[in-house]
Amino acid sequence: MVEQLSSPEPASDLDRHPGQCVAFAATFDTVTRSATFPAAGYERAAVELLTDLGFEFGLPRPTTTTLLDTFDGRLHRSGLRLQMTDGDGVELALSGDDTTPAHLVVDAAPRVPEDLPSGPVRARVAAVVGERALLPRLRTSAQRTRGLLRDAAGKVVAIADVHDEVRVLDRPDAHLVATIEIHEVPGYPKHARRALESLRRLGLVESETDTLAQCAAAAGVDLAGFTATATVPLEPDMAAIDGFRLVLANLATTIAANWQGTIDQSDPEFLHDLRIAVRQTRTVLAAAKHVLPAEIRDLARDEFAWLADLTSTPRDLDVYLLEWSSYTDPLGPEVAASLEPVRDLLERRRNDGHVALERGLCSERAATLMNTWQGWLATPSVRDGLPRRALRPLGPLVAKRIARAHEIVLEHGRRIGPDTPAEHVHDLRKDAKKLRYLLECFGGLLPKGARKRYVKRLRALQDNLGEHQDAEVHTHMLRAVATELHDIGASADTMLAIGQLTERLDQQRHAARIEFAERFADYDTPATQRALDAVLDRITT
Amino acid sequence: MKILATYSIKGGVGKTTTAINLAHEAAATGARVLLWDLDPQGAATFFVRVKPSVKGGAERLVSRAGALGANIRATDDPAVHIVPADFSLRHLDLELDDTKHPTRRLGELLVPVADRYDVALLDCAPGITLSSEGVFEATDALVVPTIPTTLSERTLEQLASFLAEQSRSPILLPFASMLDRRKRLQRELVAHLVNDVPGFLRTAIPNASVIEQMGTERAPVAVFAPRSVAATAFRDLWAEIAERVWT
Repeated sequence: MVEQLSSPEPASDLDRHPGQCVAFAATFDTVTRSATFPAAGYERAAVELLTDLGFEFGLPRPTTTTLLDTFDGRLHRSGLRLQMTDGDGVELALSGDDTTPAHLVVDAAPRVPEDLPSGPVRARVAAVVGERALLPRLRTSAQRTRGLLRDAAGKVVAIADVHDEVRVLDRPDAHLVATIEIHEVPGYPKHARRALESLRRLGLVESETDTLAQCAAAAGVDLAGFTATATVPLEPDMAAIDGFRLVLANLATTIAANWQGTIDQSDPEFLHDLRIAVRQTRTVLAAAKHVLPAEIRDLARDEFAWLADLTSTPRDLDVYLLEWSSYTDPLGPEVAASLEPVRDLLERRRNDGHVALERGLCSERAATLMNTWQGWLATPSVRDGLPRRALRPLGPLVAKRIARAHEIVLEHGRRIGPDTPAEHVHDLRKDAKKLRYLLECFGGLLPKGARKRYVKRLRALQDNLGEHQDAEVHTHMLRAVATELHDIGASADTMLAIGQLTERLDQQRHAARIEFAERFADYDTPATQRALDAVLDRITT
Repeated sequence: MKILATYSIKGGVGKTTTAINLAHEAAATGARVLLWDLDPQGAATFFVRVKPSVKGGAERLVSRAGALGANIRATDDPAVHIVPADFSLRHLDLELDDTKHPTRRLGELLVPVADRYDVALLDCAPGITLSSEGVFEATDALVVPTIPTTLSERTLEQLASFLAEQSRSPILLPFASMLDRRKRLQRELVAHLVNDVPGFLRTAIPNASVIEQMGTERAPVAVFAPRSVAATAFRDLWAEIAERVWT
């Protein structure tokens, strides 16, 4: 949105609603308005014109700008922009949600908020970014010539930045000729307006976005990032095969989007998102019996099982290490220090797991799987010779699958008593996950409110099963590591500390197991059945 | 947003130079800073080259909601904005006295801009007045420049006693200002203050000509003399204040 110059001048830019501040409510490093040049050569005329208005221009300086954000664009979606400018030193600027940008001098691009010095910028970035890593989403270079307009006291009252030879790095095809940006200084709106009016009279066309956003558009970079969502729009009366293909195609997009990030290990969430999408794919494939052609379904089931298996060890160890301090901090600093060899060994194993995963993802087998799978999903389905349920309405079929998944959770859950082996509890956890995945993947068919109410009940059970499973898996890992460390002569302190940590994890596992009976009893009620009926009511017939 | 104030009962102790330099140092650590020049002399406003003028004067500033935002000006440091002084602020006590809750008013005026800044730094006029009481009520911490004389210590004690009697009082962060390290008596007095006065900050700001140059440079010391002892001292002082206020 661009503010009209003829609009009455507000009391202050800072009093404007943020949504109305795009045009004029920024300071030196936040774009207020930018005018693009329709052809090369205008920049010299513009500089001459601005010089006549009193702007004093310095020498052109090579500038490299890196826009940092998470893969899923969390900063952008929060109205924030974190950009690193490498010109006279490396400066990080956080701007966008209001009119005052924050600045920091940094040594290198932060990968996670913890890489930033403690203070307001780190706190604001961390609050938005969460567990995700900051990645370079866009890198641009330009020759920047800055012009300052000062008043009689020498105070800067307007700024002009001429960006020449604007390029998107690593994308030679994305090339802007030049831009000029006029920045209003809060409290001094008239000077920037005068400059803009003059540039318009020169014939320059004002754009609605700044240079960086134009670069992103030229390079085809979506600043909103990629967000994985399992839910796609579906209709209950569409043919089952069409609905299943839409769901699976959406999941394949998520898998593909997270593929390279998983290989690069630039953010543990890539592996998480890839693993979830693979698991969801497997659940949907299992539910697609007599819907998808057997040959493609069987191939996909086998190959995604192989892919899921590849992701297990590195993801389990990622989680273990991410949660490490929450396990060890309660044991005190001395015990935590004695456990460092354990952590080192777990990290080595995690790295080995990632190497194996990377090898798998870069293999011919993986390439064949994805090419075959995406190719099949992209090809329109032939209506002849399809399995017997392929052309049935999607809604009732999905309702049946979800109802059956719910029954399985109840049947298996009712069999679990205090002495039931842990494997059976783990199996129940997998049953609950499959049910949850079906609800998410076919969420487009289901009423949102009813689904939310039912999932809340299911999630309470899943949380308990998750706590039990994490403690169980991590105890097993710890025992295996203990044997290995004992064999290589770890210190007595380390072995004692392992004992303490094992005991602690065992207590957690035991507590979760005791709590299970109560959680399952809460789930296995007529109220849950009614909640599920409300979810499926609309699509059952 | 944390609200701090540079304050002293005494005048000429370095309040304004401290406010300007601390605003710069806070911004250098990534904070968005709003400086509010409450002193009708307008020295802080002068240092940042802004015209000392408030629309409608102190009366409108105090009486209208949102008036503070309407008077915010950018400084040449992009992360530091200022509400400039105005000569009518000499009547600030009278204007505050006309409001329903005089000592709460300054804090109320800051509420609408609280989510736009990380730090508000109020540069106060000397003395204990109604507006000072409003500052005490609004702020999280009072940064008190203390020149190394026995009389200053006494003034500091008076301030501490006064605050102790208030229902709500900010953290008191006194520090040695205008220290002449060549003088043994001053060094000894500062050592005594740091060791014996609760909350007295370890960092001392020197009595340096480079600080006086701020009047001609019209910029924080770190801008025109970044490697000077004074610039380092202000950086250390901000680090110490931030540690006290944010932890």
